[in-house]
Amino acid sequence: MSLRLKFGLILALAVVTALIAIPREDAIFKFFGIKNVKLQVKQGLDLQGGAQLVFQADLAKTPAGQHDQAMSSLVQVMQRRANIGGTQEVVVQQQGKDRVSVSLPGVKDVNAAIQQIGQTATLSFAVQASQGASPSLLAITGKDVSSADVTIDPQTSKPVVSLVLKGSAVKTFGDVTTQLNQTGGYLTILLDDQILFGPATVSSPITDGHAQLQGNFASVSDAKNIANLINSGALPVPVTLVGQNTVGPTLGKESVSHSLVAGLIGLATVAVFMLLYYRLAGAVAVSALVIYTTITLTLYKLSAFVPGYTIVLTLAGIAGFILSIGMAVDANILIFERLKEELRAGKSFVAATETAFDRAWTSIRDSNVSTLITCTILYLSSTATPIIRGFAVTLGLGVLVSLFTAVVITRTLLRLVIRQKWGRNPKWYGLKDSEVQL
Amino acid sequence: MDIIGKRKIWYAISLIMIVPGLISLFVFGLRLGIDFNSGQLSVVKGTVDSAKVEAAAAQIGFKDVLVVATGSGQTEIRFADPSPQAQHEANHQKLKTALAVQGLEELSFDSVGPSVSKDIARNAIVSLLLASLAIVFYVAFAFRNAPPPVSPLSFGVMAIIALLHDSLFVLGVFSLLGHFFKIEIDALFVTAILTVIGFSVHDTIVVFDRIRENLRREKGEFGHIVNVSILETLARSINTSLTVLLTLMALFLFGGHSIRLFVLALLIGIASGTYSSIFNASPLLVTWHSYKLKRLAKEAQIEAKAGKKAKA
Repeated sequence: MSLRLKFGLILALAVVTALIAIPREDAIFKFFGIKNVKLQVKQGLDLQGGAQLVFQADLAKTPAGQHDQAMSSLVQVMQRRANIGGTQEVVVQQQGKDRVSVSLPGVKDVNAAIQQIGQTATLSFAVQASQGASPSLLAITGKDVSSADVTIDPQTSKPVVSLVLKGSAVKTFGDVTTQLNQTGGYLTILLDDQILFGPATVSSPITDGHAQLQGNFASVSDAKNIANLINSGALPVPVTLVGQNTVGPTLGKESVSHSLVAGLIGLATVAVFMLLYYRLAGAVAVSALVIYTTITLTLYKLSAFVPGYTIVLTLAGIAGFILSIGMAVDANILIFERLKEELRAGKSFVAATETAFDRAWTSIRDSNVSTLITCTILYLSSTATPIIRGFAVTLGLGVLVSLFTAVVITRTLLRLVIRQKWGRNPKWYGLKDSEVQL
Repeated sequence: MDIIGKRKIWYAISLIMIVPGLISLFVFGLRLGIDFNSGQLSVVKGTVDSAKVEAAAAQIGFKDVLVVATGSGQTEIRFADPSPQAQHEANHQKLKTALAVQGLEELSFDSVGPSVSKDIARNAIVSLLLASLAIVFYVAFAFRNAPPPVSPLSFGVMAIIALLHDSLFVLGVFSLLGHFFKIEIDALFVTAILTVIGFSVHDTIVVFDRIRENLRREKGEFGHIVNVSILETLARSINTSLTVLLTLMALFLFGGHSIRLFVLALLIGIASGTYSSIFNASPLLVTWHSYKLKRLAKEAQIEAKAGKKAKA
């Protein structure tokens, strides 16, 4: 590949990534006729506000071989329940062997969410021959309910939960209600051992599987919650809340603006330092650094399209990103210091540049690999919190991108610069004339 | 500049920096936050009448209530809720109400159960050990073809000593901060230590790499070659850590409060990492080398004596 072609490609990469990376990129897309594309760096709970809940599953009563199965169905049920609240982009994940973490961005009422998600919600049906008699449980559970809904009783104008049974439960329920209707027995429906309905007599047999529960629900939303719980199914194992992390929306917004300011100041200081110390080479490094930033932001934004690998930016993640800028600069510094040395040793600009890259490469590679090792260990450690993961991902990605920008972009730009006559002035590299024999 | 010749001075400086923290670590230990110790932490905006807050918390039934102003317009309220887990959130809401009455807004709330905190602590230790081990092997591997007189493994061992130096320094400083300023460490602190380790090795490898290169090209006394290598990479070492420290400084001064301590740990650790890569890791290679030479000489002497005796 010719140098010119490479430069063209780098320029194209810079322009494309810059267009994607800048905020409000959708306005630009629209200009080119691409509509309805809104890219966004996904923000973690600490930046957008919200709650992270950690539930511990009690697997003591579950047979050893069925733990994994129980956990995955637990995650599914919790996912269904958490999404009901209308909060955006809920993430439910298994954590370790027996924990489930639930991320609720922008949730307002954490207490209600905890109740809603963590309740076991086992539905049971019991019959009694008379009010004092001992109740016996029917073979109908929440699994036999095909749907639960809330309606308003036109006569009492109170909320009513209506259940629709399915399968063999329709017949069982029909038989039981027919019998109760004749004997005058009582029917009770319980949720987690708390009475939802009854004990009440059955005025007419229910053979179509449609049951109306006129429980004493405090409000429509109360009834809706119960209907939702029944719809999403019971948790296969009981859970308790063992961890909670809630960030208010004020703090999140503050954090975003603070880190933006810090990031910009950090970048600017580094740029000024590089320009002052390495002059023309510094300018090359700053260009590479700008492209580095746009590539990284582009990757953040595009990762939203890859389910499972979406990069969620957290406060620690921003720290990791800013830190990786430092690493990206280091690669440049290693190359430039080497370049100065080779120039001092009397090599021509072309020869010095090539040697500098070759020699600096082993240092760049070896040192960055050790950082990548740390990132991998941070990421993989079994109970790594989202904070630590976020940090490891952004730092690791930053290191990889910085390897690319140092080796490809800095190198190409520097080669291009030293081809020009004005680009071969030792002064422009922070060297004194006396240090170099030309 | 003769860095190798004055190595005992550099070692002494390191000891002076590390020993107070180390003593504090043994005597006071680290002040563990709720991530490791379990409990609840509520951060509110503004300064707080601590007597009022403590009274309100005690009324709800919270134990070990601790109110600390963080110095950046925020106050941390630490407590332990002895009631069953199911009531925790309801109790927390009571605290929030009590705070709201005093006109205080809660910015964030954390609650960590004992089983979770135990896992975090165990996991922290495991990942620290794993990272250190992985790095020794990596360094030994990267320097597998290092020319004599240094063995690849001793590069790895010296890199580990340097990273121990840096992590012990950070741990010591935070132990002192914990004792005198009630600053607690959390899960993020472990991340900071791991990053410091990564950086420390990163810095050390750059110098080692130059030593290896110079050993291949130049003939001469080992200490001299190491000294030259350190000097040749000095500008790079200082400039790199300067840029990293500049960005961290920006984060420390202007970044959010929630990561300030994390950034502080990184600042201390990376500054220490630069020092140790220049003044500890490489000089230690020389110390180790001359120790081996002396031992060899002694053995040779003993053998020579034994040889004479045998002859006589």
